[in-house]
Amino acid sequence: MLLCSLPALADDLFLDGQPLPQVLTATRLKQSAAAVPGSMTVIDSELIKASGARDISELLRLVPGMMLGYTTGNQASVNYHGTSASDARRMQVLIDGRSVYRAGLATVDWSDIPVAMEDIERIEVFRGPNTVSYGANALMAVVNILTRSPANSQGSRMKVTRGERGINDFYASQGVGWETGDLRLSLSGQQDDGFDSNAVGADRRDGRRLNRFSLAVSQTLNAQQSLDWQLNVKEGTNQRPYTYTPVFDGITEGGNNSDVTAKDYAGSLRWNFDFNPDHSLYIQGSAQQWDRRQIWKACDAKVSFSPQLTQLWQLNPNYAERLARNMETYSQGSAPPGSAAEQALANQVLDQWKHQGGKDPVCGDIDQSTRESRYDLELQDTLSLSDGLRLLSGFNYRYDRADSDTYFNGTLDDTTWRLFGQLEWRASEHWLLQGGAMYEDTHLSGHSLTPRVAVNYLINPRHGLRAVYSEAVRSPDMFENNVNWSYRVTNLSSPAYGQDSGQYFVVTRGPGNLDKELMRSRELGYNGFFADLGLNVDVKLFYDEITDMISSPLRNNQYIASNANSSRFTGAESQLDWRVSNADRLRLTYAYVDASSSNPLDKAQTARNSGSAGWLREWGQGWSSAVFYYGDDALNQYRFQRVDLRVAKRIAVAKTNVELAGMLQQRLDNQPTTWADNNYDHRHVLYFSAQLDF
Amino acid sequence: MGDQSRMTLFLIPLRWCRGVLLAALLLATPAWSADILLTAAQDSAGIQAFTQALAQQRPEDQVTFTPLKDLPAPSRLPASTRLILLDLPGLDWRLQDAQGPPTLVLRISRLQARQRLGNTHPAKISLLWSDPPLERQLHLIASILPQAHRIGVLYGADSEFLLRELMQFAKPMGLEIVPQRWDNTNDSRALQTLFKNSDVLLGLDDPQLYNPKTAKNLLLSSYAQQLPLVGPNAGFVRAGSLASTYSDQPDWLAVLDSLLDHAPANWPHTLYPEHFKVVGNPQVARSLGIEQVDEAAVATRLAEGEKRP
Repeated sequence: MLLCSLPALADDLFLDGQPLPQVLTATRLKQSAAAVPGSMTVIDSELIKASGARDISELLRLVPGMMLGYTTGNQASVNYHGTSASDARRMQVLIDGRSVYRAGLATVDWSDIPVAMEDIERIEVFRGPNTVSYGANALMAVVNILTRSPANSQGSRMKVTRGERGINDFYASQGVGWETGDLRLSLSGQQDDGFDSNAVGADRRDGRRLNRFSLAVSQTLNAQQSLDWQLNVKEGTNQRPYTYTPVFDGITEGGNNSDVTAKDYAGSLRWNFDFNPDHSLYIQGSAQQWDRRQIWKACDAKVSFSPQLTQLWQLNPNYAERLARNMETYSQGSAPPGSAAEQALANQVLDQWKHQGGKDPVCGDIDQSTRESRYDLELQDTLSLSDGLRLLSGFNYRYDRADSDTYFNGTLDDTTWRLFGQLEWRASEHWLLQGGAMYEDTHLSGHSLTPRVAVNYLINPRHGLRAVYSEAVRSPDMFENNVNWSYRVTNLSSPAYGQDSGQYFVVTRGPGNLDKELMRSRELGYNGFFADLGLNVDVKLFYDEITDMISSPLRNNQYIASNANSSRFTGAESQLDWRVSNADRLRLTYAYVDASSSNPLDKAQTARNSGSAGWLREWGQGWSSAVFYYGDDALNQYRFQRVDLRVAKRIAVAKTNVELAGMLQQRLDNQPTTWADNNYDHRHVLYFSAQLDF
Repeated sequence: MGDQSRMTLFLIPLRWCRGVLLAALLLATPAWSADILLTAAQDSAGIQAFTQALAQQRPEDQVTFTPLKDLPAPSRLPASTRLILLDLPGLDWRLQDAQGPPTLVLRISRLQARQRLGNTHPAKISLLWSDPPLERQLHLIASILPQAHRIGVLYGADSEFLLRELMQFAKPMGLEIVPQRWDNTNDSRALQTLFKNSDVLLGLDDPQLYNPKTAKNLLLSSYAQQLPLVGPNAGFVRAGSLASTYSDQPDWLAVLDSLLDHAPANWPHTLYPEHFKVVGNPQVARSLGIEQVDEAAVATRLAEGEKRP
């Protein structure tokens, strides 16, 4: 029906070759770049390699509008356009279709993602909301990380990287194929020291050490069916500086770190079924677990565990904090003015402080460990109704569970149902209309319906204009909505109030009735490929608004989350990818983002101007080089400008390929990175890698 | 054996009778009116249809199909017969005798001929190639993908011999052939290497490389790199190749028509059909952001190019 121009093969003696399966079917073929209903940046394997990047987050500097900051050396914070200075919560991140967004705590731990850079085939970044295709939380952008298919991973690969700042990485993989399938097994590890010094020049404790195991298998069952499955495990330690400061005066003792042991486990199974060239579906099931073990020593005055102070906090946290911060002053006189109940409790606390050893220091262990799990099942059906009409639909079920004494006083779980559908209609050679909607129902935060519609006008197959309107929602995560945050201190050095463990008096509770955040996005864009020049250009103008925004920082003293905030991002961004010759490739990105927000913190992570420039060149005889410039003005008030140079030499000996590469990163500015505590002693870093393929 | 001789004894007199009749007619009809004998190991509806079509095309000739098993040794056929072989067993049979009627071999590819004949050219046998001519495929690429300069070509032990002539054709067109040997089709590293250095892939009609088993991996992985495949034949276009030239039954009838008009002494040793068509896969073109292949216009343009010296 679709390929009506093809001759009727069976009737013709000269065309009845061996029967071939139709491989590139209407359901497998994707829209051309000019016809994509939105803005897309693809970071291909050539760029990944040339960038010399050791982390996925660093690669996102190549995406226009992407704001990359660091909370500590091992905690990247990636935002598209902005919001959320401490945690990036508004982007969907997928690995081969599996969301790695943490189930309970609303973040992506970029450094803990159990995928090695060497296993990544490409990264597709959808710049803009797209819950219809990628599910809730695809509020501002979607980062879709696609690993190399096992079929393309055959042979052995080994790589070591060593360099300054304690850089010490390794990677080893083995791929094997058999008649009906392929497999890739890879092991990798990463180590570095993070930043060198904090704001006062002391050593910055933010190094990391991690190991990963990954197994990917794809199997063909028959002409119509195939299975893909993966197992990924990551374990490691992320150093965290000791940040506990005693509430009460006069406490000098303390710990020296609050390091995290992080273990991530993920498994997924995908069953693909092609009914016929015009109809296919897949079912993907996945299970994931995030273990974060974090215990540190805390010392404070014994009165911290006073039942009366706890009661007072529950009555009036402001009052309790005022009292606690000025204990010595108030103990000279009487309780601060307040209600009778408050004052009665305050006087008891003051009595404990003065006469019952309440000011004595006591130390114990704080356990902030979490265990989060997610089970996800998705069915997606692709149906080509006619040459110009394609329907994509499906459903998704997700079960999230978070287990943390500190954050949830036990276990909290949530279930999400999702239905989605999208129709692509090629009305004519020039006009393409794509629209869809997603319906989502979340146990903890209710249901929502989000539409999306895009019109593409193709001037010719390589040049297209687009107009997109989309809505997207983000459900408040368990932490924002349902936190029940209190610290239980165990193994106390001396008993407090008759116990060798105690509940710290500060308790924070989430409101429990938060609404979903709503994003409305409008976009005008152009994508063009000038084939004779080898030049690809994409330009986008955007006007994005987030309302009912939950923007309070995630802190435990007086955390009052609400939907009271809003943000607006407007601007333009462009990317240019130019294959100047077979040996040269130039790549430029630039974004201008104007942010305004009701909470000033939400625009701190927006650089008004940001971008990148790269030049990749093959010099011949195995030599290649790549230079990249990355820059943004004022991310959290700090400028960032860096030039990376990678020089590599490939040597082929029989069937073995060796690649030696040197990488230099040179900061051009003298500023800290994102926060005042993130400083390097030297503005440059040098590291080398050696890779062996056979 | 005995059965066969008996049968041929029975057949030959019949044929002779007919021959006498024909000889009588020859005096009245044009000199090239002939006895055209088609054969193949196996009969099929397609063969019958082709035989009928050829008979209609040449009403003045006597066109018949006889299964291979019913034929005597080639040398025992009258020298005036024009023999048309429709499959490879037919060629094997024909090759058993150095002598025999002038023969046209259809449905044989360059690879198959090389495997059977090496570099030899048996007398009185004309090989009419079934695989699309390389030069024509290169012109097709130049016509639909004018920006493509690096033509990636996978080859194996069987198809390696085609590379030299491919490069000869490519050179004056300003195209660069990027050859890549692919011995183990279960290992796709060769593909990845080639994809990195090519603007387009040209498929050689080598069934070791392009077959139902390799089609999926080949097409999916080249598509993932947004790299179009041209060729190796019309069947692959349906599977997901961007385009190919091909010759179908009407084209071959036209080719045969003109050959049969000539005396066999003037038949070429080998021949690519000058009649051909172009087929494109519009869905693949659309997805790769390439203009739809205007099959008729491109075919006309290529044919005009071939007529010019």
